Amino acid sequence: MLDPRFSSERPHVSRRGFLRLTGAGVAGGALVTMLDARKAPAQLKGTSLRILMWSHFVPAYDTWLDDFAKRWGEKTGVKVRMDHIPHLELPARYAAEFAAGAGHDLIYFVGQILTGQYYRNLVDLSDLAEGLAKKYGAWMPASKSAGQVGGAWYGVPDFFISIPVLWRKDLLESVGVNNPDTWDDLRKAARLLKPKGHPTGMQFSHCNDANHNWRSLLYCFGGKETDPSGQNLTLDSKETREALRFAKALYDEGMTPEVFSWDDASDNRYLASGVACWVHDAISAFRTTQDTNPKVFEQTYVLPEAKGPVARLNMGEPNVWAIWKFSKNVPAAKEFIQTIADHQKEAMEASRGYNMPFLKNQYTKPMPGLGGDAKLSALQEQDKITVFFGYPGPMTPAAQEVLTTFIVPDMFTRVARGADIEETMKWGMGETRRIYTKHKAG
Amino acid sequence: MSQIAAGGGPSPGAPATVAVGGRVRDISWWRTPTARRYLFGYTLLAPAVLYVALLVGIPFVFSLYLAVSDASVGVPVARFVGLENFKAALENSAFWTAVRNTVVFTLGAGIMKGLLGTALAFLLIQPFKGRRVVRALVVIPFTLPIAVSVLGWKWMFDSQFSVINWALSRLNLIGAYGSPEWPVWLGQPALALFSVMFVNVWRGFPFSAIVLMAGMTSIPPEIIDAGKVDGATFLQRFRKIIVPMIAPILFIGSAFDTVFTLSDLSIVYLLTNGGPDGATEILPTLAYNTGIKAGALGRGAAISLSLFPLLLPLMILLLRTLRRRQY
Repeated sequence: MLDPRFSSERPHVSRRGFLRLTGAGVAGGALVTMLDARKAPAQLKGTSLRILMWSHFVPAYDTWLDDFAKRWGEKTGVKVRMDHIPHLELPARYAAEFAAGAGHDLIYFVGQILTGQYYRNLVDLSDLAEGLAKKYGAWMPASKSAGQVGGAWYGVPDFFISIPVLWRKDLLESVGVNNPDTWDDLRKAARLLKPKGHPTGMQFSHCNDANHNWRSLLYCFGGKETDPSGQNLTLDSKETREALRFAKALYDEGMTPEVFSWDDASDNRYLASGVACWVHDAISAFRTTQDTNPKVFEQTYVLPEAKGPVARLNMGEPNVWAIWKFSKNVPAAKEFIQTIADHQKEAMEASRGYNMPFLKNQYTKPMPGLGGDAKLSALQEQDKITVFFGYPGPMTPAAQEVLTTFIVPDMFTRVARGADIEETMKWGMGETRRIYTKHKAG
Repeated sequence: MSQIAAGGGPSPGAPATVAVGGRVRDISWWRTPTARRYLFGYTLLAPAVLYVALLVGIPFVFSLYLAVSDASVGVPVARFVGLENFKAALENSAFWTAVRNTVVFTLGAGIMKGLLGTALAFLLIQPFKGRRVVRALVVIPFTLPIAVSVLGWKWMFDSQFSVINWALSRLNLIGAYGSPEWPVWLGQPALALFSVMFVNVWRGFPFSAIVLMAGMTSIPPEIIDAGKVDGATFLQRFRKIIVPMIAPILFIGSAFDTVFTLSDLSIVYLLTNGGPDGATEILPTLAYNTGIKAGALGRGAAISLSLFPLLLPLMILLLRTLRRRQY
């Protein structure tokens, strides 16, 4: 919701304007109201803004965003061009634009947060980020990892994707697991339901979900990738070994070998097909099931994260705005970030509760898309349990390389396939140490 | 009187002196017919040289520069680090897995494409009704956008909804879904490597067939007929007549195919991204994930250039053999 106090110029909404706006709000939704209420700097008029954006997993959100950008452009007089490309192609595009010193004015990091790599070439957005924190409460602690380098904000977190547990109430209750809350509950359910044709599954493969899911389990068991500085590896621990041991048992008892071939969408299909007893996935799986298999959906419930022996921590996927230093229109890019941050509620509504906010006050209940849904309302405190890769350290370039080379999920895969835990730990530590050493040397 | 070079013509670069109407006149070498012929030849060659220099030479030199530097995606100025990146690659266990998979992938797919392409070429040179339509159809895999065709295969290899598995299961050749006999094409290490090779073969063997057909149609039928009259069997004709005669085309086709297969990123990237646990990791995917996604351009370049020592001797050997055969 827009707060006119934050506007750089006095809001000039007359009584007539107010009536017109409220009428439009009733007739056409809140978007126009919000956009009209913020006045953009006059110097933006007649300029253009190119935005590099991913293709959202919820297509309706992209429709909303494109419409939002169009209306914002009409309002500010900025010619906006929004280029959506698949998220897996974004890193190559950043590299190409950086090498060329030209490209989009406003870019977007999805999942793979490259703020640490590119910060020397990104505009310092500290004023914007700190202004948002003042306006909407504090940033959630993990935000700094996504947007800050050396205390300065080079990226402004937009939203993160939460990866909760989606479980089948009918199936779990049939084996006496009425309200699953812990990883042990989930393991028990999978063990009892696999023989009945309802195994579980988490990706043991090279995809984003594998990186998320096994890290969530690792963190819940107390495993840590680095110390809080992000400089020293702490992966080699008894907690990591416990997590690996648990994963091996979970696979043996509750999964089938198909998990070794899964991509990011396989667990969505597994749930929607009615086979899975539970999956650990973004709520896109919940929405897919809602749209494709209403009977299964009726029985599908959401657990924000399972509790492990040490913690209840969910590894989310952050999405971050950034502006190249060579951007031809930094003021418009900053204005766009500010305006869309002011419309977080509509964005969350448009994403059907998928886009989780980073700012404290945006967790005021009921949250759009979540608060009105009995099953999803539990996600309204997701900010308290969300961390990002590299935890408890920041998302450094070294942590990024460990992520993109799938070392952590490969450790779990090796153990699930029967490799010795000590051998696997030695291999995983060797690989991560090599990466961290290279980055320190650089 | 005229001064003529010892070789019977003006030496390149030296002025020629010719007698014209009783007067001696100097002509620059570049105005001679020979020079004009050279000039014409080089002018025709220039676009190709320029093309190779711009699109192959410069990127290659740039990747050499990256490979000996600590370049990363966000640092514009890189330091010279010598062979550090190559050393780092050699110390990386994933690199050796990728080398092994790359060799298996390239050789396996190359052999399969050769066999299938040859068989297809023999079929397609036979006269039969609808040959043109069939010829057009078989090249479809090669002409389809790679992302589209690979995504189609991804669905066919899906662990749950694989049409291949459902068909095999209906024919009672494998067990039902959920049984241990249900193959997980992209999940079992050997099957996963086979699957990515299979898609590469499916996509590439029409190209092999076209190359072979082009060669075969250039063989005069009388020579084949002469072989038949002399009592040569099909295999003898193939080995002793067809292969030697189309060898130059075969060599060029093999060279192209080897390069394309060695550097094929898309199929593995889209099907498995190198997983599970590196079972399908090849050098291009490792280089991409390290250099672009992780941002370590120097190490990524070093990994991708490690293909070069493999390819260079192979290409030299192929081209030398080709040249010997031509003369």
